[in-house]
Amino acid sequence: MSALLSVTDAHVAYGKVEAVRSVGLDVGENQIVTIVGANGAGKTTLLSAIMGILPLKGRVAFAGQDLARLDIEDRVAMGLGLVPEHRELFVTMNVEDNLELGAFRIERSKAKASMEQVYTLFPRLKERRKQLAGTLSGGEQQMLAMGRALMGAPKLLMLDEPSLGLAPIIVADIFRIITELRASGVSVLLVEQNAQAALKIADQAYVMELGEFVLSGKASDIAANEAVAASYLGFQHEGGSVI
Amino acid sequence: MNTTIMLFLLQDGITNGAIYALLGLALVLVFAVTRVILIPQGEFVTYGALTYASLASGQMPGTAKLALAMGIVAFAFDLFVARKALHGRLIVRSVLTNIVLPAIVLAVTLYFAGQKPPVAVCIALSLLIVAMIGLFLYRIAFQPLAHTSVLVLLIASVGVHLALQGLGLLFFGAEGQRGPAVLSGAFTAGSLRFTGQSLTVYGITIAFIVGLWLFFGLTLYGKALRATAVNRLGARLAGIRTTLSGQIAFLLASVIGALSGIMIVPITTLYYDSGFLIGLKGFVAAIIGGLVSYPLTAVAALFVGIVEAFSSFYASNYKEVIVFMLLIPVLLLRSLAAPAVEEEKD
Repeated sequence: MSALLSVTDAHVAYGKVEAVRSVGLDVGENQIVTIVGANGAGKTTLLSAIMGILPLKGRVAFAGQDLARLDIEDRVAMGLGLVPEHRELFVTMNVEDNLELGAFRIERSKAKASMEQVYTLFPRLKERRKQLAGTLSGGEQQMLAMGRALMGAPKLLMLDEPSLGLAPIIVADIFRIITELRASGVSVLLVEQNAQAALKIADQAYVMELGEFVLSGKASDIAANEAVAASYLGFQHEGGSVI
Repeated sequence: MNTTIMLFLLQDGITNGAIYALLGLALVLVFAVTRVILIPQGEFVTYGALTYASLASGQMPGTAKLALAMGIVAFAFDLFVARKALHGRLIVRSVLTNIVLPAIVLAVTLYFAGQKPPVAVCIALSLLIVAMIGLFLYRIAFQPLAHTSVLVLLIASVGVHLALQGLGLLFFGAEGQRGPAVLSGAFTAGSLRFTGQSLTVYGITIAFIVGLWLFFGLTLYGKALRATAVNRLGARLAGIRTTLSGQIAFLLASVIGALSGIMIVPITTLYYDSGFLIGLKGFVAAIIGGLVSYPLTAVAALFVGIVEAFSSFYASNYKEVIVFMLLIPVLLLRSLAAPAVEEEKD
């Protein structure tokens, strides 16, 4: 199976500080791939660079096309979506307007159908559709951010810490929806601190430390790895820390 | 002062205030979307007014040629940016908007220039010419700087203002001009006399405000503009080009400016540099609105117009001083009310 997203030898730097070094990554179709790692490992930086928000040295190909010269907006139009950690919603506009704008690059007739799909996925958003985005709860804002990204009919959705700061019941809901997305043909690249939950639903996983991937493989194998378990999954083995 | 004079001043103030309101709204719009403090807004006013007046008096306005010249520069910019990935559709679109469109408008202007065309033709041509200048101005001066700080954009804005003012002197000369009234005739209600022109000003201002409100509230492009103003990164992630939003904002600002000019020039004689002061009064209103609030800006603009009318009656020498002094208490109050803001770093 050819990869939908393929990153080879990527470097991302903030001035002279390299935050991501020589990273390679593949996301196939209908796959959930997760990147786990501690705070500051460079996960968010990597996603931002794949989206085109930060400059990246190396090669990023999406659906067989090199992304080097494409702006964020072109990448969106190609079917690459990002839900950033801070969600970046239009807080003074209502839920429906936020969603409608998510389909800015999509035909109007298709946008209507997408909105219905998003409302089926997140019934809560339908109830609040006239409410201003800034007045929603954290969980609802996360749903709206995901909904807005889905309105653009992405082939690959990148999610940056979707569970951060949310109540456990909402986190479970969001992880359930991520698996539903895979079933409906959307690939997901998931960056999570909640490694346990992420590894449970993912097909492939990468472990990131200080800007580099130190481990990669099937999510189930990674979850079974003792060193990973010690560092990220909350089980303490003696001397098992990799950090 | 008797009631008649007071009513007369009030009427005068509201007429001017309506125009300041339009200009103030344009300033808020452009700032919210592009972070540019649009000092050349006043030049859009003069260019619109004097292009209209020149056409109506049978002269050829130099602005039509300027539009074509700027279009050619904009086209060169487009080519340069796309040099590594040139493709046909992009070039055709760029040629059509940047060269063919202003060339057609120039040809039409040349055709009509000698023969004192009807008022409607003069208005349409003036609006078209200034709209194109606004659009190309964004492409040439501001789009390449879009990622820089507010300060850099402000400096560019001052530069553009000076350049356009100089070109205005070149095109229209140092003499002032007046244009024909859009709507002639007048009627009297009680002691107040309403001219067709002042009614035009009210009508167009109200229509424009309602139109903008509908545009921002109901249309996808209007919402996209608001979205860019609220959250630039969010808008880009939704696929909305910052460039597109900037173009729409500048297009609206230049049309609003030109229209204001066309409405004023039958009432007052305008010179190549008159626009600056008119634009600044719109700016006072926009500042009172905090550069974010449209309704507050509109109300403040009416207030500025009325203060100006009364101060020109009581102390005409200090008219401008009094109007601009309005800023001091506003800034003082705002600085006391708002917490200290750190220097913007994006």
